[in-house]
Amino acid sequence: MSAPEAAGNAPLIARRYVFGLLLRLFVTFAVGVGVLFVILYFALSRPLPGDYAGVFHALRNLSPFLRPILAVSVLVYALLACGSTSALCVYILHKVAGPLYRMELVLDQYRSGAPTRTVSFRHDDQIQALAQAFNQWIGTLRRDRHRWLATMMDAERHCLQDEATCRAEMEGALRKIAGDMARYR
Amino acid sequence: MRNPSRQPSRPRIRYVNTRFQGPAVLGFAAIVATGGAIFWKLVDGKFQRVFPDAAIRGHYTFVSAYDIVRDLLAWHLAGLFAGVFLAGSVLVLLLVFATRHGIGNVVGSLRASAEGDLSTPTGAGAIGEFGRFAQRVDDVRSGTLASVLKIRNEAAALAAGGMAPEEFRLRWDELKQRIRGIAP
Repeated sequence: MSAPEAAGNAPLIARRYVFGLLLRLFVTFAVGVGVLFVILYFALSRPLPGDYAGVFHALRNLSPFLRPILAVSVLVYALLACGSTSALCVYILHKVAGPLYRMELVLDQYRSGAPTRTVSFRHDDQIQALAQAFNQWIGTLRRDRHRWLATMMDAERHCLQDEATCRAEMEGALRKIAGDMARYR
Repeated sequence: MRNPSRQPSRPRIRYVNTRFQGPAVLGFAAIVATGGAIFWKLVDGKFQRVFPDAAIRGHYTFVSAYDIVRDLLAWHLAGLFAGVFLAGSVLVLLLVFATRHGIGNVVGSLRASAEGDLSTPTGAGAIGEFGRFAQRVDDVRSGTLASVLKIRNEAAALAAGGMAPEEFRLRWDELKQRIRGIAP
């Protein structure tokens, strides 16, 4: 049951989706670095004093003066980049998180014994193969259930005849059903 | 006139699954924070040396401090961007791999279930949310298997005969009801 084989014809995660995510990440980090550059540019591009001594003293004292500015600008960059990547994670990864949540609801519904409807995800959701595989399994179970019930009802028709024939047909149907169920392991 | 209360409710779209998106957000935040800290450490260290050196050199051909550190700043910003983006890309690829691996295993086990294999575990090694999801699928599969085996045993017991007609009929009807409960 290795992952790539299990995916079947449709890929679980479309290549276009991955490239889209990487592109958005690229833009997000580029904007973050751009903002950092702008802050540092404005902090560093102030003209130095005109005379020689003034420039000398300004340069000597510039490093301690720039330290908090650098720290704050890096902090702004980190907050901005973290915020935008968090938003990106929420609005891009919901195409995987959404179907997972929906499948969990369907599984809970199935376990509770409530009628289970065919599962379908939104058209641009990823992991579509999950819904297909679940529907395939439920479909197989339903087909088997219909067949077993049809076998039992078919045996019941013989009850219009004598009691012995009815009982023999019913026992035969039960043997057939038990044999059919043997494929479940 | 249409009664709005009778309209089928649309499935709720849920955007946030903290168990799935939470670790991804934390991963990206860690990358950004680490990149920022390294950048700050390196650039601050360079600034501590570059400006006193420029002051001592004496030939002040520049207008602002930016002229002194232009190249240094450009390289470090490029390094910060490249480092954070590459690490972020690796994280994205890891997320995609984890999803393909985890959900692929679940899809495989559901397909095996359609063939009748309800007991083979979905597969170890699924990460985080996918491992938990695989466990839920396994619970559903094992529950179905338990129902089917119970019905099968009952069917075999009834088929063995030696039962009063009244009891046989009662258990026959119960069995039919139980079969109706499979995948309703």
